Amino acid sequence: MRAIFTIAWKDLKALLTNPLFYVIGGMCTVLWSYTYMRSLLEFAERSRMFAQPGMDSGPNIQNTVIMAHISLTNLLFIFVLPALTMRLLAEEKRMRTYDLLLTSPITATQIAVGKFFAGWGAAVALAGISLLYPLATRLVVSYPMGPLFSAYLGMILVAGAYVAVGLFASALTESIMLSVVLGLIFNILLWFISQGAGEGHFYTPVVEYLSLGQHFVGFIMGAVKLNSTVFLLSLITLFVFLTQRVVESSRWR
Amino acid sequence: MIEVRELSKHYGERLAINALNFSVKKGEVVGFLGPNGAGKSTTMKIITGYMAPSSGSVTVAGFDVFEDPIEVKRRIGYLPETPPVYHDMYVGDYLRFVANLKGCDRTRLTGLVNSALEKTGLQDVRGRLIGNLSKGFKQRVGLAQALVSDPEILILDEPTVGLDPKQVAEMRQLIRTLKGQHTIVLSTHILPEVQASCDKVIIINSGKIVAENSLEGLSKQMSSGGGHSISVRVRRNQEVIVRGLSSVPGVRATTNMGNFIEVQTDGDETTVERVAGYVVQQGAGLLELRVQALALEDIFIKLTSTETAH
Repeated sequence: MRAIFTIAWKDLKALLTNPLFYVIGGMCTVLWSYTYMRSLLEFAERSRMFAQPGMDSGPNIQNTVIMAHISLTNLLFIFVLPALTMRLLAEEKRMRTYDLLLTSPITATQIAVGKFFAGWGAAVALAGISLLYPLATRLVVSYPMGPLFSAYLGMILVAGAYVAVGLFASALTESIMLSVVLGLIFNILLWFISQGAGEGHFYTPVVEYLSLGQHFVGFIMGAVKLNSTVFLLSLITLFVFLTQRVVESSRWR
Repeated sequence: MIEVRELSKHYGERLAINALNFSVKKGEVVGFLGPNGAGKSTTMKIITGYMAPSSGSVTVAGFDVFEDPIEVKRRIGYLPETPPVYHDMYVGDYLRFVANLKGCDRTRLTGLVNSALEKTGLQDVRGRLIGNLSKGFKQRVGLAQALVSDPEILILDEPTVGLDPKQVAEMRQLIRTLKGQHTIVLSTHILPEVQASCDKVIIINSGKIVAENSLEGLSKQMSSGGGHSISVRVRRNQEVIVRGLSSVPGVRATTNMGNFIEVQTDGDETTVERVAGYVVQQGAGLLELRVQALALEDIFIKLTSTETAH
């Protein structure tokens, strides 16, 4: 437990104090600020139209502004998180500090889990920045908090899956570049796997179930489903386990 | 303390080390000597549990490296060829991280870090980023890292490589001060290093041990039957002395080398005495008389070159 914490804490500090994190955070903030403000203004415009007598109840801020914000954040995460996680193991190998980890009295599992938590921590920090936008909106508009939190729970779990995938990619190679590209491809694969599901085949429901998107949508709609939670946690476990196998394999390769 | 039995390692087709057998006793300082690519680093990596051998076994303090890797790693401090330091960490933080990783007692953490800093003379740089330190200091941080958990065994892979002469001298001094507190295995291809700090030498070449002995034992072993050679420098009458010396008992041959005379003897000390006596008696003006014991350098070259000749 202590070894996991030691590694996680050291790597989280390294991730959060690295200029890369600030560049990524800064660029994301620019993008979020621009799109969030635009969709908020658009929403205000349309609400005014619907406010005329005799019209239906207007558009819902949850479904328009916040959902769009969360979808954008998720899209960004697909690309940005592999860049954060790329260093976790590839850098250790490149700088030969891997030798220190492998000759310390710790197990491959502790290394993999510690590294995962460090990456997840950084992802949660980034998600935290994006959460500021909907929270700030609450200063002027009141809307139910429930769906917002279920959406963020989902986002944190999905981000965990991206981090685990990125960590696995990082374990496979000594090259940081390759680690980013691999992580990216794995992430995109997980997101778009349902595209190949087709319709009416015997494998359609299986493939659809494997897609991250299907599960994430549930969380955004405000439904914390047990099967989605279990699916995402298993996905995280699977990739952390695969990472552990790769780390362990350096002992006998 | 360390028992290595029939240790072999293949890298694909290439045989890196071939059936090594040796043991290191508690408190010994053992020099692991060999030309580049002889298998020194491979052997050390296997002892530390970094990689597994193709066959054979290693036990450290009674624990098998592959059955109980955690127990073994707890007892070893390892300095690899490249010091395993994080360039974006501060020296003090880094050592604290390593001490935590090695599972040191939490209450002793600060004390351990301080004593490692003190031993390696790093107190002044504890608040600096490792990435900004010079190579010599990085190497020292690497050594501090190996020392910080106060391990029973220290394994140092070429600890002085890439250092300037002053730093090399400091590093050797440091290793000497560590003697007695730890069992030390150090690898090198620099011979004075072994002479400076080791009790025992293991010479390895092309993956095989070609000699394993104490320093004196090794020179004795190599010079037995071979005799000594003495070099003599005189001021006058060099030609006469060369001819005269060949009749001194115990001298096998003399050669006039120009500015000195080389005298081959049977290796007996009384012969040396007789040679010195003869030169002085002839009034040739003795300037220098040196007995050339077989130096480690010669032993090394002899052992490693005959081995590759096969």
